Amino acid sequence: MKKLLGVALGILTAIGGFVDIGDLVTNAVVGARFGFSLVWVVAVGVIGICLFAEMSGRVAAVSGRATFEIIRERLGPRAGGANLVASFAINLLTLTAEIGGIALALHLASSVEPRLWMPVAALAVWLVLWRVKFSIMENVVGLMGLLLIGFAVALFLLGPDWSQVAREITQPAVPEGEHPAAYWYYAVALFGAAMTPYEVFFFSSGAVEEKWTAKSLGQNRLNVFTGFPLGGLLSVAIAGCAAVVLLPHGIEVSTLSQIVLPVAQAGGTLLLAVVIVGIVAATFGAALETALSSGYTLAQYLGWSWGKFRRPAQAARFHVTMMIALLLAVAILMTSVDPVAVTEFSVVFSAVALPLTYIPILVVANDPDYMGARVNGRVANTLGSVYLGIVLVAALAAIPLMIATGAGS
Amino acid sequence: MTRRIIDARLHLLSRQVLDVDGEPVTTVEDLELRGADGGDVVAGEPAHVAAILSGPVLVTRILGGRPPQSRWERIAWSAVSHLGTVVELDVEASTLDVDWPERWLREHVVRRIPGGQHDPEGES
Repeated sequence: MKKLLGVALGILTAIGGFVDIGDLVTNAVVGARFGFSLVWVVAVGVIGICLFAEMSGRVAAVSGRATFEIIRERLGPRAGGANLVASFAINLLTLTAEIGGIALALHLASSVEPRLWMPVAALAVWLVLWRVKFSIMENVVGLMGLLLIGFAVALFLLGPDWSQVAREITQPAVPEGEHPAAYWYYAVALFGAAMTPYEVFFFSSGAVEEKWTAKSLGQNRLNVFTGFPLGGLLSVAIAGCAAVVLLPHGIEVSTLSQIVLPVAQAGGTLLLAVVIVGIVAATFGAALETALSSGYTLAQYLGWSWGKFRRPAQAARFHVTMMIALLLAVAILMTSVDPVAVTEFSVVFSAVALPLTYIPILVVANDPDYMGARVNGRVANTLGSVYLGIVLVAALAAIPLMIATGAGS
Repeated sequence: MTRRIIDARLHLLSRQVLDVDGEPVTTVEDLELRGADGGDVVAGEPAHVAAILSGPVLVTRILGGRPPQSRWERIAWSAVSHLGTVVELDVEASTLDVDWPERWLREHVVRRIPGGQHDPEGES
């Protein structure tokens, strides 16, 4: 059990990256339109985020510096500031979507109008940020989010033709009737979701919150190599359920209730209830992750004191930043925007934030001033450079693909 | 103590500043340079770092120019105790002028909300 709780940081980080409300919808849309033909992208994304999250966790453990501190230090005020603006926008948009997502999930369970749930959800998020100890927060939310494993159970209960599935995964092809541009738009979206920058902000800052030292490197690896593959697995399971149930009927996913439809069909009310609790926990977890990340990024860029391990009064600007972010999120939601559509805009900001986040991590992970003998090995550097290339291509391709396909529609 | 050559741009600018207790204070937004006699820096003459600058000077580092001297928020260089990957001071943050926004928000906002003094790591 202690081992399990020791990896909660990795699990919560991955949940925010792979199965937050925007990704829940994206995964189901991908499954319903492209079957299993995009699973390879999730695999590529999982390897990439494992690589860079491990580096960011190692830098935080050895040098005590969280990721945005090294971004500011290596990129300086201008490029660092550009990353701050883009990353803060992604955090805020995702936070907005998650607050809306919690409300949508509670609406699914209670049939109370979502807009009534939104301020309640935001207040609940704030109370946890204000009051709850970091380790309790990550354990409870991380473990409850794991209930999303219900999607994997549902997939097995649905019993697709596994040899067919394996063929689709290993020999991916653009399905008939789909435009290649739409296929690649979703490929970039899935890759971007897997590599979302707030994952490394949250993970490295969480390592500081948990007071990791050079002795914690084993724990760092365990967190990384458990959490992110698990996140990828959940993401594939959600797409798989949609591929088995929704794809043959040509159902287009547009609401949360359609995402859980295959679960209800396979496992009945009980499994549905489990999955809904999982969705609430996962969106709640992603809300905490993005709200904290908004505080972490700004505080670390400007050198303020930050962290949930301090009394709120000892990290006043950090806490005020998170309050303002939550208020902004509720204000955006009150305009009746579709919470899920909000996340689509973060693709634009990712184009700036992705390269400007991962380049400094790779540089500092090689700096003996920070790392002593714990600098990157040759494998990490080779893979890291390859992935920087992929990140750059994906970041550059994202906006033209988004415009060309009308955000995939 | 061994002498070490420091590149101010590389090893000082944008580094985190910690106070004597290890609490974050600010980042090094800019540096105040003075000539040998304490006057203005003259090209070709030796100069020394007189203070770490913080606050509004960040805006001018991004956009160019510099704010009037009256707006500079200084941490005297004599307060620096150690230079590593961070700049460490031998004074408490609460004694520094540059820490005023943190103190203002602490006194006027955060402390007034119930639980603002609660220690999350402590028992209950």
